[in-house]
Amino acid sequence: MPAQPILCYPHPVLKKVSHAVTTIDDEIRGLIDDLLDTMRAGPGSVGVAAPQIGVTLRVCVVDVSGSRHGKENNHGLLVMVNPAIVHREGAAIMREGCMSVPDYTGDVERATAITVRFRDGEGTEREIAASGFEAVAIQHEMDHLDGILFLDRIVSLKTGLFRRKNYK
Amino acid sequence: MMSTKKTDSLAHYAVTVVGKDRPGIVAATAGVLYRLGCNVEDSSSTMLGGEFSMILIVSHEKPFSKSRILEEFRGVAEEMGLTVAARTLSPDEVAYQAPGGELCMVSVYGSDRPGIIYRVTKELAERKVNITDLNTKLIGTKEEPVYVLMLEAALPEGIAVEDVTAMLDKIKKELNVEISVRSITPVSL
Repeated sequence: MPAQPILCYPHPVLKKVSHAVTTIDDEIRGLIDDLLDTMRAGPGSVGVAAPQIGVTLRVCVVDVSGSRHGKENNHGLLVMVNPAIVHREGAAIMREGCMSVPDYTGDVERATAITVRFRDGEGTEREIAASGFEAVAIQHEMDHLDGILFLDRIVSLKTGLFRRKNYK
Repeated sequence: MMSTKKTDSLAHYAVTVVGKDRPGIVAATAGVLYRLGCNVEDSSSTMLGGEFSMILIVSHEKPFSKSRILEEFRGVAEEMGLTVAARTLSPDEVAYQAPGGELCMVSVYGSDRPGIIYRVTKELAERKVNITDLNTKLIGTKEEPVYVLMLEAALPEGIAVEDVTAMLDKIKKELNVEISVRSITPVSL
C-alpha cells in the first residue's frame, strides 16, 4: 500500500485509545508498511502513529536519524508494536508541531530520557534507552495511541515566562 | 508551514480592548462579540502593568461599519472602564501568510537604560529579521531596575542563528546588557 493520508483533528479517531496488538500477522505487517510509507512521504516526518492513518491499534514508527535534532543520537528506524515506557527521567521543553494539527505549535514538556519496551516488526521483544529528540518523538507518537494530542500537553503560553512576578 | 484560512468572503475587524485589570473583562468582551455574531479568529490578551489588554481579529458574515462594533461595546466599556478601538481590515491584510524560515528566541536583559528596545530591534529590522512576538518587562527594584526583553523572530533566507548572535554582540557591549539567542524552530512530529 502506498503512503496514506494523515488524518487531521477533528477526526474522531485521533482522540480514541488504541487497542493492543495480539499477534503480528499480515494485517499488522501491512499496517507497518503503510506507516513506514507514510512517514517517508511526509517531508521531514520523524514518526507516524497508526491512529494518524485511521487505525486504532498500538503501533507507531519513529526514525529521527535523518533530522537535524536527532541525527547524532538515535536507534535508526524503530517499528514499535504495543510500546510501553518503563522508565522516564528528566524534563525539557521543546516547541512541537504535529501533522495532525496543522498550522499550530506549542511548548511541550517531555522526559529527556526514557526506556521503552515494545515488539518490533518481526515480533521480537526489545527494550531501548532513548534520549534527546528521539525520546521526544517516541513520547509524541505514543501519545497518539492514547488519543492524546500535543495540544493536551502545552505547558505555557509564549509569554508564560513573565507571569511569575508579583507587583509590589 | 504557510497558514491559509477559508475566510475570503468574510468581513474582518481588528478590535483592541484595554482597561484596568479585573475579573470579567474577557467574558464581557466575548459576550459583546458573540451577540454581534462575530467570530473571534485570532486573539491575544495579556496583563501589562495593571492593565489587561486584548487584541482580537474578528470576522462577520456581513460587513458593517466599525462604529456599530463600538456602539455595541458602549455599555460594557463604560461599566468596566474599558477603552475599545476597532478597525476594518482590508482583504489583503487578512490574506496573511505566516513567515517561514528559522525561528529564534532572543533574550536581552540588563540594568534599565533608554534605548534597549530601539537598538536591538533596529539591528534586526536592518537585516530583515521579522519579529513575530515581543515582550518587555521592567523588573528588579526601584534602586536597581532591570529591563528584560524577550522576542521571537523569523530569520530570512541566508541568516542563521549564529549570525543573529554576532549582529547583537556589539549591542551587548554598547548597552551593557546580556543577550543570548537560540533556535526555537518547532519540531514537526
